[in-house]
Amino acid sequence: MPQIFDRSSNALARMSLILTGLLIIALGLTLDALQRSPWVTRQGQRADQPVPFSHKHHVEGLGLQCQYCHTTVEESSYAGIPPTHTCMNCHSQIWTDAQILQPVRTSWETGKSITWTRVHDLPDFVFFNHEIHVNKGIGCSTCHGRVDEMPIMYAQNSLQMEWCLNCHRNPAKNLRPTSEIYNMAWTGASELHPVWCASETVNEGTPTAESVTCTETRPKQGVQMADLSPPLAGFHAQTVGTALDSQNTAPVELPAGLHYTRFTSQEALGVFLIQHYKIRPPRELTSCEVCHR
Amino acid sequence: MSTNGGSVISDQQSGETAGTPERKLTLEEVRAKLAKQKGKRYWRSIDELANTPEFQEALEREFPQHASEWLDPVSRRGFLKVMGASLALAGLAGCTKQPDELIYPYVNAPEDLILGKPVYFASAFPFATGAVPVLIKSDAYRPIKVDGNPEHPYNQGGSDPITQATLLDMYDPDRAQHVRYRGETRSWVAFEAEFRAMLADKKASGGKGLYFLSSTVTSPTLARQWQEGQKNYPQAKFVQYDPANRDAHYVAAKQAFGDYVDAQYRLDQADVIVSLDADFLGGAQFPGFHRLAKDYASRRKLQGNTEMNRLYVVEAVTTATGFKAEHRLQVRPSQVAPFALDLAAAVGAGNGAVGYNWTSHQATYLQGLAADLKANAGKCVVIPGEYAAPEVHLAAFAMNQALGNVGKTVVYTDPVNPMPSIQMDDLKSLVADMNAGKVDWLVILNANPVYATPTDLDFVDALNHVGTIVQLSSHSDETSEVAHWHINNQHYLEKWSDARAYDGTVSVVQPMIAPLYDGHSEHEILQSLLDNPDVSPYEAVRTTWKGVVSGGSPAPQKAKGATAGAAAAAADADFAWRKVLHDGWLENTAYTPKNVTAKVTLPKAPAPAGNGIEVVFRPDLHTYDGRYANVGWLQEIPRPVTYLSWDNAVQMSYATLEKFGLAQNAAVKVSLGGKYIIGGALPVPGQADDVVVITLGQGRSTGRVAGGVGYNGYLIQQSGGPWMQPGAGVEKTGDIYDLCVPREDYIDQRSVSHGGDGSGTHSLEGNESLDRGIIRYASLTEYKSDPGFANQGVGHWTPGPNESMFPAYRYDKNAWGMSIDLNSCVGCNACIASCYAENNIAVVGRLQTKIGRILQWIRIDTYFEGDLAAPRAHFQPMTCHQCENAPCELVCPVGATVHSPEGINLMVYNRCVGTRFCSNNCPYKVRRFNFLLYSDWDTPSLKLMRNPDVSVRSRGVMEKCTYCVQRIEAVKIEADKDNRPICDGEIRTACQQACPTNAIVFGNINDKTSEVAKLKANARTYGVLADLNTRPRTTYLAEVINVNEDLAKELGEYRA
Repeated sequence: MPQIFDRSSNALARMSLILTGLLIIALGLTLDALQRSPWVTRQGQRADQPVPFSHKHHVEGLGLQCQYCHTTVEESSYAGIPPTHTCMNCHSQIWTDAQILQPVRTSWETGKSITWTRVHDLPDFVFFNHEIHVNKGIGCSTCHGRVDEMPIMYAQNSLQMEWCLNCHRNPAKNLRPTSEIYNMAWTGASELHPVWCASETVNEGTPTAESVTCTETRPKQGVQMADLSPPLAGFHAQTVGTALDSQNTAPVELPAGLHYTRFTSQEALGVFLIQHYKIRPPRELTSCEVCHR
Repeated sequence: MSTNGGSVISDQQSGETAGTPERKLTLEEVRAKLAKQKGKRYWRSIDELANTPEFQEALEREFPQHASEWLDPVSRRGFLKVMGASLALAGLAGCTKQPDELIYPYVNAPEDLILGKPVYFASAFPFATGAVPVLIKSDAYRPIKVDGNPEHPYNQGGSDPITQATLLDMYDPDRAQHVRYRGETRSWVAFEAEFRAMLADKKASGGKGLYFLSSTVTSPTLARQWQEGQKNYPQAKFVQYDPANRDAHYVAAKQAFGDYVDAQYRLDQADVIVSLDADFLGGAQFPGFHRLAKDYASRRKLQGNTEMNRLYVVEAVTTATGFKAEHRLQVRPSQVAPFALDLAAAVGAGNGAVGYNWTSHQATYLQGLAADLKANAGKCVVIPGEYAAPEVHLAAFAMNQALGNVGKTVVYTDPVNPMPSIQMDDLKSLVADMNAGKVDWLVILNANPVYATPTDLDFVDALNHVGTIVQLSSHSDETSEVAHWHINNQHYLEKWSDARAYDGTVSVVQPMIAPLYDGHSEHEILQSLLDNPDVSPYEAVRTTWKGVVSGGSPAPQKAKGATAGAAAAAADADFAWRKVLHDGWLENTAYTPKNVTAKVTLPKAPAPAGNGIEVVFRPDLHTYDGRYANVGWLQEIPRPVTYLSWDNAVQMSYATLEKFGLAQNAAVKVSLGGKYIIGGALPVPGQADDVVVITLGQGRSTGRVAGGVGYNGYLIQQSGGPWMQPGAGVEKTGDIYDLCVPREDYIDQRSVSHGGDGSGTHSLEGNESLDRGIIRYASLTEYKSDPGFANQGVGHWTPGPNESMFPAYRYDKNAWGMSIDLNSCVGCNACIASCYAENNIAVVGRLQTKIGRILQWIRIDTYFEGDLAAPRAHFQPMTCHQCENAPCELVCPVGATVHSPEGINLMVYNRCVGTRFCSNNCPYKVRRFNFLLYSDWDTPSLKLMRNPDVSVRSRGVMEKCTYCVQRIEAVKIEADKDNRPICDGEIRTACQQACPTNAIVFGNINDKTSEVAKLKANARTYGVLADLNTRPRTTYLAEVINVNEDLAKELGEYRA
């Protein structure tokens, strides 16, 4: 009886085994990639919205502060979506005939909500809380990206669990002074952009946000500032730092008696802030009940 | 008695069960078996003692009965659908794309609203026995939790299962949603027009032929509206009728005081409490329950003292109150009155003994009780039961008077009901008028008389003689089917009203949400009788309290001129009104004690009934008179004592059961006055013989939840004696009525060498409650001589913190723990209902409950002890113990249950794949598995009700108590933000919040100054099954009972 299989079948058999293995691996890799892909996470995707609202125009162009619309970000888990009324504050005066604003006017006239599509949508078993993040030194742009440069809103980050955990395991790399929370351009401390921070003693019951004073410009040391009135408790640096252009390197007058430290690396700044903002240790931050209940 | 047909069926059944081992221990044998047991012997059900085949069949398994089997009828299509869905989901569940979620922002945001932060409003839940002051948690203006108002002097934060469940009652999708006329949807305006046209017609005749039939009124505004309306319509009649009314009390009060008065008991002042058939710890059914329970428990805390009260209960129906008693005596219902009269005679308050022939046990009890009362004159109180005969109330008045208790432990006040009446008499005359054709218009307010009136009045027939029937009610019920007009009413969470709590304090009922279905309230209907018919309920309530709520703004301006003065006064009144709304009650409206003296001539005792069967009627502890029968939580939570869920049973003693040849779940026919009902027989420990207990409030014919549950007891209720009737016929039908009793028994299969008794005939809990000290208690004398009794002796060993192979977890800041005082727990189920609301627990339904898939995270275990016929019982709330060495955590293959740095056994639902290993490994059996998709994901009204801070679990997911971790996290965030430690008492778990007796305390055990840490340092603290080295975070304070040693000796009780 002649051989049914030629000798070359051996090679084919080996090949097919290897190929099957490779296929399985490839399938796994594909599924993994799919799971992290924007198709699933919607990262970077621009949803269809009733009004092509431009954060870029309103934030960068007009200089609206985040909290003008997202009013409850500091005091609630939910940052808040502005009611139609907020839109109409201005748009009853300007662009009153603009076609793209028709849904806003319709909402105002009919009393029915403008129906937005949620861009940052967490699963229902995840309980994210805005207030604790902004009160402990996580800025808007850390999670939401450069909203001021987004003509149409999209999710900068995947919002997947691994992404959350990256920070909860090591918050230092993302912490910033609470005075810089709404600073979209914040890049962290570095050699090029050093940050000076001083700690203040605060009593129990005073928010930790008030325990650190920071500036991006070199503070003038040793100047008596007794006439600085009122002495700003919880010195928020937007009164000092943000409005200054980069050319202005003149030392800023700051409360005396504070010992400023110059931070040239984000890690060092982060560690400093963890200590003063009393950020819980990673062991507690990564415990499941923090996000899942 | 049984018919031929019945015995045939019964033969078939015995044929079916022929394969199972022959049981049939007779009562004597069971007793003999008990008598042989030495020491404290606990058992959980009569099945266990009698060693029934059912009990034998049950196996020790993860879930009792058939929970883990697929019993549900499923069609081929359904099966393929489910399988198809499972396959589609398999492995891809994590890869599915979330659907787009839409955001609907406000058009105009309400001022001060912070989305994501709950707001609390004070209001009151108007209940027939007096309002329950409540504090309502509102999320985005949706009420999501109802709790007692912690600042209110009456209940001080305590609540009860019904109050808790009113939330679900409001969101009930079965509520009537339209005004209907003869079944067709109409507008409220159409009704109003017709109603007012009728009123205009009747104006001349003074409202002749206009009748109102209302449930008990506790609203002063409604009373005012009626009283003013009556001036315009003097011939119109207003009848109040609730099946569970206070007739006995009011008849007696009228006789003794010449006026209607309420009795308020000050149990915090009482050393000896005597209940004469009064279930005053049973729930809101008993007037003043919240205060009574709190005061009763306050004298049992044993904190820094050894002073305790002592409770005697003489009762005809086994209740939780009876089981809390130090000395309980069960009597036949007809014996309650003679006992009360004889007791009065024995304490020197009566006309001499009525000459009843007591058994020696009863006589000894009576004498011992009388002696204890006399020894504690002025420091004792006698509480008569609401459903006891008027003579019992008279005897109680006389005894409290004679013992000098009046003004000390009992005070008499004006009645909470602003228009008190003898309701049964009024109802009878109403029915007579209806039959005489005198009733043109019958306006029924919040009542369901077709269902809930005694059968001999034949209310349905009487309705045939009525011209127009109008019914205002929340649900389309039995009466709505015959009413011409049906008006959907407003739930108390939707309307303006007012009500008095039992202490007399007036609370304003304020709306929490716009009426879901445009309902209307009784205030609107009655206002039509007045000269200004269009005044809104809000204005009506304000008008009522105009004189009381005024003045007192913080900075009164000196107004110049009359107009400015009036404006300032109005501003003051507005300010005061806002304060009332904020506080929830009107200050200084509590009743002051009336200076009245009881003039009682105690009657000769009614002749005790012969040897016939006595039927007792009682409202259901949860569904009340049937009005809450459509509330799933209340149906599902097992009742105290009987552990019945989704059912009512024909309850009787074990001896009576045997007498009629019945067994548990045998269908039994109870006939009275020519009518009969058929229900399932249920033996109840501690029930007097030859007594059948009928529970009212079930057997409704309408409602998706209520419909078809149990039997309707009203069908044999007689107006002549609504609570007790002698001479009933009890008949075995031969059929089976499979009662829903989700009691969980795990058979102790262990051999002798492994700690069991090798017989396989006892429940693990029953055995271990003794051997392993699940229940530990001592008498006060024992406690005084040995405060550490709970941690001594065999099986009471707790391993030290270092006795483990593994390093202990470290808890740096907070370590959450709970202490449950078994001395205070009265088994009322408020904690369970609260847990349902807080944690979005799904209702699983009757079948699923029966096969052990009930999802309640906290249950109340009842351990019976002692004689079968006259046992004692111990209540033990059982929930996740949050073990430090948790057995569940070790066996989870996917890390879905893990340990938090603060010591909580977390349950991560989205990780759970449903292996159920954790539940299998849990010694406390407190984990609950979603076998099916129980949560209702679709009904819109139920979505509004859910707590937004807790995941709604799907099928295939294990769930359990989390110590309300969502509340812990919310407080932690606030505390971290404010840079401060968490204060003791800042976090309260839902069960703790609801508990009317403060039996549950939660807090940080690392903080040695916290209340819970102090309780845990108490010598009475013990951990259940702590010898397993699970190191439970929930511990119990062992019970101490204040036994009357002399009496116990004479009665032969409390043998060591």
